[in-house]
Amino acid sequence: MPSARSQRLAIALVGLAGSAVFVALALRHLDLRAVAATWRDARIFPWVPMAMVAYLLGHLVRGQRLRVLVRSETMLPLATASNVVVVGYASNNVLPARLGEFVRAGMLAERTGVRLTQSLTVTLIERLLDGIAILLLLLLGVLALDVRPDWMWEVARAAMVVFGVALAGVLVAVFLPGFVLSAAARVSAPLGPKARDRIVALATSITAAGACLRRPKDAALIALYSMVVWLLEATMFACILPVFALKLQIAPALVAMSVTNLGILAPSSPGFVGTFHFFCSQALSSQGVPAATAMAYAIVVHLTFFVPVTLWGAGAILWYGVQVGATAAMARAARSSPKGDTLSGVPVHLIARVDAPGAMVVTSDFDVALTEAILAQEGSTLDRAAVVETAAFVAEQAAALPARLHAMYAAGMAGFRFYVRLRYLRSFCALDLERRRRAVDAWAFGRLALLRQLFRPVRSLALLAYYERPVLGSAVVAPRSIARAPVSVAHD
Amino acid sequence: MTDTRRVQVLIVGSGAGGAITALELAKRGLDVCVLEQGSRWSLDGYGQGSVEAMRRLYRRRGMTPILGKVPIGYVEGACLGGSTEINSGFWHRTPREVLLRWTAQFDLQHASPEDLAPHFDAVEKLLDVGLYKGPLPRSTEVFARGIEAMGWAAQQVPRTAPGCKSTNACAAGCPTGAKQGMSRRIIPEAEAAGARVITDCTAKLLLTSGTRVTGVLAEVRVDGGRRDLVRIDADHVFLCAGPTETPALLRRSGIKHHVGDSLRIHPMLKVAAMFPERIDAQDSVLPLLQVKEFWPDISIGGAFFTPGHLAMLLGDNWLDNRAQMRRYRNMATYYVAVRGSGRGSVRPSFFGDGATVLRYELSHEDEIHLSKGLARLATLLLAAGATEVHPTVQGLPVIRREVEAIRWLDERLPRSALSLTTVHAFSSCPAGERRDRCATDSFGKLQGFDNLYLNDASILPDSPGVNPQGSVMALARRNAIRFGESLQ
Repeated sequence: MPSARSQRLAIALVGLAGSAVFVALALRHLDLRAVAATWRDARIFPWVPMAMVAYLLGHLVRGQRLRVLVRSETMLPLATASNVVVVGYASNNVLPARLGEFVRAGMLAERTGVRLTQSLTVTLIERLLDGIAILLLLLLGVLALDVRPDWMWEVARAAMVVFGVALAGVLVAVFLPGFVLSAAARVSAPLGPKARDRIVALATSITAAGACLRRPKDAALIALYSMVVWLLEATMFACILPVFALKLQIAPALVAMSVTNLGILAPSSPGFVGTFHFFCSQALSSQGVPAATAMAYAIVVHLTFFVPVTLWGAGAILWYGVQVGATAAMARAARSSPKGDTLSGVPVHLIARVDAPGAMVVTSDFDVALTEAILAQEGSTLDRAAVVETAAFVAEQAAALPARLHAMYAAGMAGFRFYVRLRYLRSFCALDLERRRRAVDAWAFGRLALLRQLFRPVRSLALLAYYERPVLGSAVVAPRSIARAPVSVAHD
Repeated sequence: MTDTRRVQVLIVGSGAGGAITALELAKRGLDVCVLEQGSRWSLDGYGQGSVEAMRRLYRRRGMTPILGKVPIGYVEGACLGGSTEINSGFWHRTPREVLLRWTAQFDLQHASPEDLAPHFDAVEKLLDVGLYKGPLPRSTEVFARGIEAMGWAAQQVPRTAPGCKSTNACAAGCPTGAKQGMSRRIIPEAEAAGARVITDCTAKLLLTSGTRVTGVLAEVRVDGGRRDLVRIDADHVFLCAGPTETPALLRRSGIKHHVGDSLRIHPMLKVAAMFPERIDAQDSVLPLLQVKEFWPDISIGGAFFTPGHLAMLLGDNWLDNRAQMRRYRNMATYYVAVRGSGRGSVRPSFFGDGATVLRYELSHEDEIHLSKGLARLATLLLAAGATEVHPTVQGLPVIRREVEAIRWLDERLPRSALSLTTVHAFSSCPAGERRDRCATDSFGKLQGFDNLYLNDASILPDSPGVNPQGSVMALARRNAIRFGESLQ
């Protein structure tokens, strides 16, 4: 068996060889004097600083996306999240074989306390989302181009297969965790308890990391941020075009950005030297841009891509005292939990720690408005605090429904809100109480059984919680005075 | 040589089946461990009202509906002691004709009334089963008046609450400790005999190797919301997680033969009755009588009452009924339950939130029995002096006269307007020797496995037609003793 050191050396050598090949390909038939001449006429200001700003803004959005991804486990400040992201990128710029992804996962684990495997899975999910966003932008760019070389379609097709398969895997892990756990346990059963425990632990970490994508709102936000990240990166590519007197256009920039980022998945040296330049210049020259100009463009884009983030990353590493070599130590520490343990005197084998507390249920304005409309009688006044308390209970109970029923309930309520907006040209929450009451009654006691069934559980829960309150005695006898009844009187 | 890293008998679930299994096996000197998904509560944690009880004591906070063309509200306990902590404590021995039917249809062996009698005797002694000793509450008195007027057969149902203080907190956990939920006596006795109990522990998966279960993968909630995934190795595993979770766990583990395909329930329709006099049902134990005249198809009895539950019940016709809430002190609630001849299923949720999907379709027969049952219950209540009967059927007018009640002897209630509930579920993994329809043998041993047993309501072959706790405990005790003897 080769040692870890020789494995690392082999990886580095393969990366260097990859870079050498792509440097050779990029320089083949290239007139270096023409490249130098193109450089002399370059207009650095204001385009290069603008490109840097766009690129760095993209890293702040990446940080925001990371915050949402780990929200169920930890509240990460935007600055820390962005620094974690940038440390990963910067490490990729100076370390071979994309080791930056591991550095970043290690730092995320260290900053948040989540397990390293889980942290790595979050990174994997981000990469997949990136891949899908890049592919979408590539397709958009290619469709908008005047000239569409065949090889671009082939790149897009190959990438679609790779990311499609990976996405399917992630979706299974995210939405069918029970299946993944069960499959992992069953498939690994013949390997013995030790191997089975490890595989089950890995499966648990992976499914736990995908928890954020189970919440539709968070999933939509993460998808949105992913698109914004890559649009900003495409903006960086676009801003460099006028540096070489090329027309500022988004389509070639989208294609150059997408092809370059897919291309640098190939093994290469730290900082993607060679691969970056080859794919970037090829994407541009396929649009009729002279080879020398395309290479000069690739060099400037690479520097814009490389320098600021590497500096930011170096600063962050110094700031947090995170060293590249500490990653392995973090991973070891994360794995060092005792394997054998007891619970209430019962011998158990600890397999994994799952840091995934349930998301807190937030009572929305709609929940409160709906509860009030259900409880209110014509011309009556309700105690606001009691309504809010009841609405909180209703929201918590709805969240406790099995996922599919909760999704059906949420879809039904979205339909109801849409109906209200069409009917009254205002949102449900903006309606006065009488109108809200009428809108609710029209559905809850209408002719359609399906609509009645939608409102039945929420009405039952609201009535139960409201009439179980201790102030009930006065509440039932004199509904108008609920709000004003002091608790001591109400208990009589 | 004993492997100290293994448990001899691992029991999943601490409800009626799990608790008695743990006690019987621990008494025989076996090394027993019980896993319970819910928490352990002291008496101080009980009786905190319906809202808090749903948070603490109920599975998924009580949000476990049964899906079907007519959705049915269903709740079960998820705390130490399971549903016995939140039920009314009513106790029935399995009726003779039910046991005969189980033998005839499922070839359930050694389950005659004579076979089970010693087990009923033993459990009844443990739980101090008996009749309510205090003066009958008003809600029972008026019900008795109606029964007498109709001349129907009825009985006061024995309960597992010998010193009931009539606090009306059965569904929120009995705060006086009078009701003998499993956490009161049986589990403490099992612990005293050496059984170990791990609460807040959810069994996720059975680990199998060929025809043996080697252990259980479980998630334990520890401090600060963190959860540990642990493996507990065991020589023998008893699943006693209840009629919904036992089949769900089996199916999650890839064990599906006759598992979760035959869920049965007792569908229940409730009514609220308004009386001229004060009933104050919210201050007393629920009505204690049951009408047996129409058994086994139809049972009639009294339902748990609080103003919140009354409001829910009146909610189906809330626009017309809400004014009645002012007179809640004059009201009491009753039910008609049918034996349930429809069929249901239990499946683990396809999406991974750990939920269990329950389905049940009312049969044509169920609908007829519910309609007839409503007619009879409403007639009884009017005969008892009720001025109004409010059924939980959306759009159905208030019943004020007998002639309005008896129409349902001939007509069928509109299916889409029914608001049904149930607290009795069973038969999701029927026991018996008929391999073509049973998941386990007569003693709960799962087909195809050497060391995996089911011992809860899921093994009742089909509907017992009465509260199933007695049947579950007697069968579970019988199975546990036989298992213990086989080891010795």
